[in-house]
Amino acid sequence: MSLRSQLEDILKEMKSTGDVEASAIVSRDGLLIAADISSSVNADAFAAMSATMLGAAETAMSELGKGTPDRVVVESPSGKIVAMGAGEKALLVVMTTPKANLGLILLQLGKASKKIEELLG
Amino acid sequence: MKVITGIPVLDDVIEEIPEGKILTYWIDPEVEGNVFAMQTLFTNLERGCKCAYTTIAYSPEVAIGEFNEFGWDVENYENFSIVDLYSGYVGLPSNCQYNASPTDIEEVNEVMKKVIENFDVVVIPVSSVIDVCGEDSIECIGEWYDFAREKESRLICTFVSWPYPEEIEKFVKNNSNAVIRVGGVHHRVILGYYYGVVKVDWKNIKSKAILFKLVKPGGVRAYIPKILVTGPYNAGKSTFVHAVSMRAISVDRLGTTVALDHGHLEYKGFSIDLFGTPGQERFDPILKMLGREALGVILVVDSTKPETFPRAKQMLEAVAHFGLPYVVAANKQDLPDALPPEEIRKKMFLPEDVPIIPVSAKEGDGVYKVIDALLELLTGSWWVKENEPEVST
Ligand SMILES: Nc1nc2c(ncn2[C@@H]2O[C@H](COP(=O)(O)OP(=O)(O)OP(=O)(O)O)[C@@H](O)[C@H]2O)c(=O)[nH]1
Ligand SMILES: [Mg+2]
Repeated sequence: MSLRSQLEDILKEMKSTGDVEASAIVSRDGLLIAADISSSVNADAFAAMSATMLGAAETAMSELGKGTPDRVVVESPSGKIVAMGAGEKALLVVMTTPKANLGLILLQLGKASKKIEELLG
Repeated sequence: MKVITGIPVLDDVIEEIPEGKILTYWIDPEVEGNVFAMQTLFTNLERGCKCAYTTIAYSPEVAIGEFNEFGWDVENYENFSIVDLYSGYVGLPSNCQYNASPTDIEEVNEVMKKVIENFDVVVIPVSSVIDVCGEDSIECIGEWYDFAREKESRLICTFVSWPYPEEIEKFVKNNSNAVIRVGGVHHRVILGYYYGVVKVDWKNIKSKAILFKLVKPGGVRAYIPKILVTGPYNAGKSTFVHAVSMRAISVDRLGTTVALDHGHLEYKGFSIDLFGTPGQERFDPILKMLGREALGVILVVDSTKPETFPRAKQMLEAVAHFGLPYVVAANKQDLPDALPPEEIRKKMFLPEDVPIIPVSAKEGDGVYKVIDALLELLTGSWWVKENEPEVST
């Protein structure tokens, strides 16, 4: 199985939880590696801004001497975005419905991010 | 000896405070404006002038402590004296050579005149004198103004603009040869502080508000909250920000900026914050966001890559609204195939008056020339030449 389809499988699996509307694996510098996103979303911008969000949050936290954050969660009435590092080179980001169970999502995200890290190194 | 204000930007235009002139710092009550007078005093003290500092609302020790907080060791200068109008007021003996009790206005008058005669620069807290000695003391203050003119001394006055009677305000304003306003930028709460020239009767200028910050030690610094450093991918923006800053951070991932660079710089009396943008197109939303409220732009280009110049111009257009000053840093001049500035001007079709500075951010060559060029553009726009007064014939 190709690397790409392995990565896509990880994203598909996450979608099966139900509340995940879109997900993407993004290089740390903001390029899309793999995505499960409807065509109505600008996937490239979504990828780039995910890298911005996570990067800025990581720097903000480490500047305060608090180490590396585990994740960034952004909430709005119309949904949530959660971004999490997946190794040195990549990050994982999902967009959910507003009523998604955050605990469950984080659990899934954690597992998926480990798998991605193993695959991408 | 030439006497100056020691306040950044102001001296570039005022040049000097001539003999017999009275300069008043007109201070909003909520602003720590006394430091302007202290800075003027210490600047001239260091230059060898005889300077006196009048205290009336607090003790000489407190006054010296305030100087020390800004790193100004006035007590170590022989040509420095305190005029102590405080100790007598609270019934303490004074150990200053020049002292008087403000309850005896004649005594105060006598001592002040002696000081004005003997010193090059005398700092007087005019509004505090009125607070302590009452409204009638304005007559005495008027005598000091006249005496300073006669004896060719210089008075540096502070006037904290509590709601005093209008006649007093007018009197102080009319008697001052220069009035420098020190105020707060309000938006329900104070957002920042500024100063500006209200009048200078030996120069034909006015200024727009100049933002400032107080730095301890250091004193008054002209504050430039945002200079945007932008330009194409890989041009050397992050390297530039780090090269000029005292401290800087970059949100870089895999060798490229994904969010921003931030650097802070204290330079020639200025306190400057630099914001570097990402260069890759996918981050353009960030570019627009960072560009908001920038006071000036440094456009960094890789001088070896003319193919990136159109992108550079497009980025400039995205951030530089009409009239925003900008300079071009022609970077990577250390490489053999770097184009010279004039070649870049031609290829980018830039106006003749836009500074294009050759730099190597990597080696640190020329980077401060870029800052100098931008500061010159910026501060140039802060001054307004008054219309020439009509000459009556
Ligand atoms: N030879 C040379 N290389 C430079 C100079 N300035 C920067 N570089 C190199 O150019 C590369 C890019 O530098 P950065 O400062 O990251 O460039 P940037 O404009 O911030 O890049 P992005 O944020 O990705 O757009 C690095 O490898 C630097 O070492 C220079 O003056 N001379
Ligand atoms: Mg950069």
